[in-house]
Amino acid sequence: MIHMPMCEAHRLRFSALLAGVFLALPVRPAPPAPFVDRAAEWGLTFRYDTGSTGQLYYPEIVGGGAALFDYDNDGDLDVFLVQGTVLEPGKGAAHPIASAGGRLFRNDLIVNGVRHDKPHFVDVTEASGIKASGYGMGVAAGDFDNDGWVDLYVLNFGSNQLWHNNGDGTFTDVTRAAGADDPRMSLSAAAADLDRDGWLDLYIADYVEFSIDHNVVCYAQSSRRDFCGPSSFPPTPDKLLRNRGNGTFEDLSQKSGIAAKAGRGMGVVAADFDGDGLPDVFVANDGMENFLWKNRGNLTFEEVALPAGVAVNADGKVQANMGIAAGDYDDDGDLDLFVTHLDGETNTLWVNLGGGQFEDRTLQAGLGAPSLPFTGFGTAWIDYDNDGRQDLLAVDGAVRLIDAQAQRGDPFPYAQTHQMFHNVGGGRFTEVSREMGEPFQRAEVGRGAAFGDIDNDGDMDVLIVAANGPARLLVNEVGNRNPWLGLRLVGKPPGAKGERDMLGALVEIVRKGAPALRRRAATDGSYASASDPRVLVGLGDAPEVTEVRVTWPDGKSEVFPPPPLRAYTKLLEGTGRAPAPPEPPKKASPQP
Amino acid sequence: MKPALFLALLLVAVGAIAIGDPPVAFPDLAPLEKEVGEQIAAAQEKLTSLAGGETPAPDLAAAYGNLGMLYHAYSLGQPAEACYRNAARLQPADPRWPHALGVLLQDGGRLEEADAAFAWALQLQEKDVPALVRRGEIARLQGRTDEAEALLQKALAADPSSSAAQALLGQTALDRRDFAAAVRRLEAALAAAPGANRLHYLLAQAYRGQGEAAKAGEHLAQAGQVGVKPADPSTDEIEALRTGERIRLARAKTAYQNGRYAEAAALYRSVVADRPESTEGRINLAATLVQLGDRAAAVAELREALRRAPANPTAHFNLGTLLAAEGPSAEAREHLAAATAALPQDAEAHRALAEVLRNGGHPEEALAEYSRAVALDPGDERARLGEAETLVRLERYGTARERLEEGLKALPQSGLLTHGLARLLAACPDHSLRDGARARTLALAVWQAQPTPGHAETAALAQAEAGDCAAAARWQRTALEGAGSLPQTTVQAMQDRLAAYEKGAPCQP
Repeated sequence: MIHMPMCEAHRLRFSALLAGVFLALPVRPAPPAPFVDRAAEWGLTFRYDTGSTGQLYYPEIVGGGAALFDYDNDGDLDVFLVQGTVLEPGKGAAHPIASAGGRLFRNDLIVNGVRHDKPHFVDVTEASGIKASGYGMGVAAGDFDNDGWVDLYVLNFGSNQLWHNNGDGTFTDVTRAAGADDPRMSLSAAAADLDRDGWLDLYIADYVEFSIDHNVVCYAQSSRRDFCGPSSFPPTPDKLLRNRGNGTFEDLSQKSGIAAKAGRGMGVVAADFDGDGLPDVFVANDGMENFLWKNRGNLTFEEVALPAGVAVNADGKVQANMGIAAGDYDDDGDLDLFVTHLDGETNTLWVNLGGGQFEDRTLQAGLGAPSLPFTGFGTAWIDYDNDGRQDLLAVDGAVRLIDAQAQRGDPFPYAQTHQMFHNVGGGRFTEVSREMGEPFQRAEVGRGAAFGDIDNDGDMDVLIVAANGPARLLVNEVGNRNPWLGLRLVGKPPGAKGERDMLGALVEIVRKGAPALRRRAATDGSYASASDPRVLVGLGDAPEVTEVRVTWPDGKSEVFPPPPLRAYTKLLEGTGRAPAPPEPPKKASPQP
Repeated sequence: MKPALFLALLLVAVGAIAIGDPPVAFPDLAPLEKEVGEQIAAAQEKLTSLAGGETPAPDLAAAYGNLGMLYHAYSLGQPAEACYRNAARLQPADPRWPHALGVLLQDGGRLEEADAAFAWALQLQEKDVPALVRRGEIARLQGRTDEAEALLQKALAADPSSSAAQALLGQTALDRRDFAAAVRRLEAALAAAPGANRLHYLLAQAYRGQGEAAKAGEHLAQAGQVGVKPADPSTDEIEALRTGERIRLARAKTAYQNGRYAEAAALYRSVVADRPESTEGRINLAATLVQLGDRAAAVAELREALRRAPANPTAHFNLGTLLAAEGPSAEAREHLAAATAALPQDAEAHRALAEVLRNGGHPEEALAEYSRAVALDPGDERARLGEAETLVRLERYGTARERLEEGLKALPQSGLLTHGLARLLAACPDHSLRDGARARTLALAVWQAQPTPGHAETAALAQAEAGDCAAAARWQRTALEGAGSLPQTTVQAMQDRLAAYEKGAPCQP
């Protein structure tokens, strides 16, 4: 200990003098940090454990994920977090030793219809009956049996699990009965009505062929032992499960054409990229060309990523494609793509030129250089400040050993900081990570991220899964200063027992004196995670909404009156009015 | 506490030594490969001894710079940076150190600092073309397109043969959506570096922008992953410093992938000579020897690999495949069975085992293996065809047809499966399954895609089944024209078939 009594005395007296001077001045408090990690404070205590066997098994560097979903239909978002296990040769795909499997946390923000001032999470895993004890990599959410209760699909290294929500707080493993298994290493899945029959199908992005019994040994450039890269393992085809509508799925991987190509799928989004009304599927492949499966109808697909311009980046380089954000960031009526990548590569922004033709505008958008030192995973278009423009968040964490951290003796030397890119308009972004608060200064090994309004206060929060680190709940403290509206787009397809979120619905917020804002209701995208299906729209300085147009997944459109601001409103399919028929083209007036 | 004192204490705490200003923290070499650790330790020792005495600044700068390059070679970024900065401080007129520092910083994504380092190097050596190209590349990455173009133009003026500068100018033109300029630049770059097939992708984008879809498609079809590597002697020098088994294996792999088999074999041999237990080195040496035509030596290496590592599935697979190529031996079967047992998800291994079983007269077992291969990799047309052929051998013709139909549904572009189905529909021993008209459609499609004697012969069979013996004879003659290299017995059988066609109806096989 260093003793400096004299200096201490001087400092105290000096401080008192300063205080006296400044008390007379008007005090402006420092602006609050936009994001604060409230996971521990709100009871979300969880650590994703990779197993860390020391063998550097490949699954240990790529998991895990989280779901934000309202399993008890009480109006707030609950949480499911997948968990790793300790992998051991000869013990099958996963051997639970230390960890207790994936965990379900109930959000008690709203209890018996009464809203509390802040969320509180309660671990209800045991009561729920969920035993997700495989090596958890990711999770998808959707109401697969149209009973009005959201089900869970847990993606594992090894067999996956479909957990049916019984509607009473409990879940039942129906994987086998439903024919929903996929024994390969699966990271992400998209729940989407691909054949527009009213039932959610499943597209599962499978990663690589890996066997813990025959581990591959790899080294960093320094010659230290390190995790292998994806090219050390053969790619594997993805899986497409068609929902028969009777509680079972049909494996259509071959018939649909998607099994014809093997990839290293990390992220997946099902959405209509070419504007033909049918949901296509974009798969982010690690270290190889992406897939864009164009939906040809009747659940047949054609892979068109290369001619569409989204297989590789603008330089023609194959990249390590990980997480996906799909959204109409320029509000021009089509969906654009942002994909996170390995350090040394840029994250990539593919702008939809219309009709499903894309152009890489990463550099022009200012998104290239800032992402070079980082490896991105979870990501989304989020309007964190509700200014009406969608920003980008990238959750970072390396997959290649960071030697400086290893030299310091860090047992898991892959930590990086997360990034926020503010949409400043005109197709340009500025990195604002340093202004985002402590969660953006702390280095960790970020992986999956789920996005949603966890405290229902009208701004987007983020749940981050860090490998070998605590889950982070990044609560947005500033977004709701701007006006906003929230929409839950639900429907009751024929044969359904209850209303469910209409994943894939597109919404257009028509404003007075400002361009319309276009958003998509979905849980897919990001990385290994499922996000809030509700649509949260920041209105910035143009809050006067004249109408809301919804295009439902079946292709029908409806118009709804302006919903109240600063509140969530449920829009039920079939209760809006038909849109006005398009006006005949006006004769061109002569130019002056 | 003062930063320097804190740093010194920290370094003592982690067992490292720091010298220089900025201080170079010697990294822990224990986790590195022995050969690498020794190489770095020797350079560190040299620096330590020079730093302790009254060494002339240029000599000390060289010691720092050389150690920096060594650290750089092994991606030990922090000490490498400190070394380069010391070298540059001690020998400020030498452009090598700021240039190398720029490369290091650029590799780490620290573009602004890298740009400053290259600018510093250019002050010392105005015509440092690699530095100009790198500054241009950095400016482009930062969205400063105009500056990027000015720098790249300057590089091109200094070295008109710089295909990297030309290609980057093509990319900046694409960034600006000046597609005509992009085409001009990229065509020039491609002419200068015809092997750089990634340029085809850029050209496809440029032509797409111009609305020339056909040209875009042509270039897209030729696009690959070989880029234009900017010439930079400093990076070559740094790369050359890397040593050890792991780097030799990596270099050998690169040589192999680029078809430089003799070089690859020499590297693998050096690995195996230094460390005879290197299974990876031995397996890869065997693969390289196969490419060099020395299969016997390859088999010997694989046997030795398995003697040292009896469970290695890759060695089993490779040895089984090599032996199977000589004929369906029990030993080949044994090794492939070991490979599939070790890697039950390996579709290729299951298919290879199936082929050995089928050719060895075990069609039922072969069928099971083919089915596994197809289930694991539905895109494997060879496995699908093998499965159907085995079913034919088992006289389960209806199932064979079903499998081929399923295969074609899954892989509609598959020439192998189209041909297989055409053949079955034209000449199936179970006549009830034949369909001459469809066989003819399929056979002609295959012939159009790939006009080979085998495909012509199938077209002849299909025509015969469809009842057009004259057309069958014409196709059979076409087949015979290209059959010169086939065994005499096969040619004779084809001639006999021609005679049958020439006799006229009925001429079905």
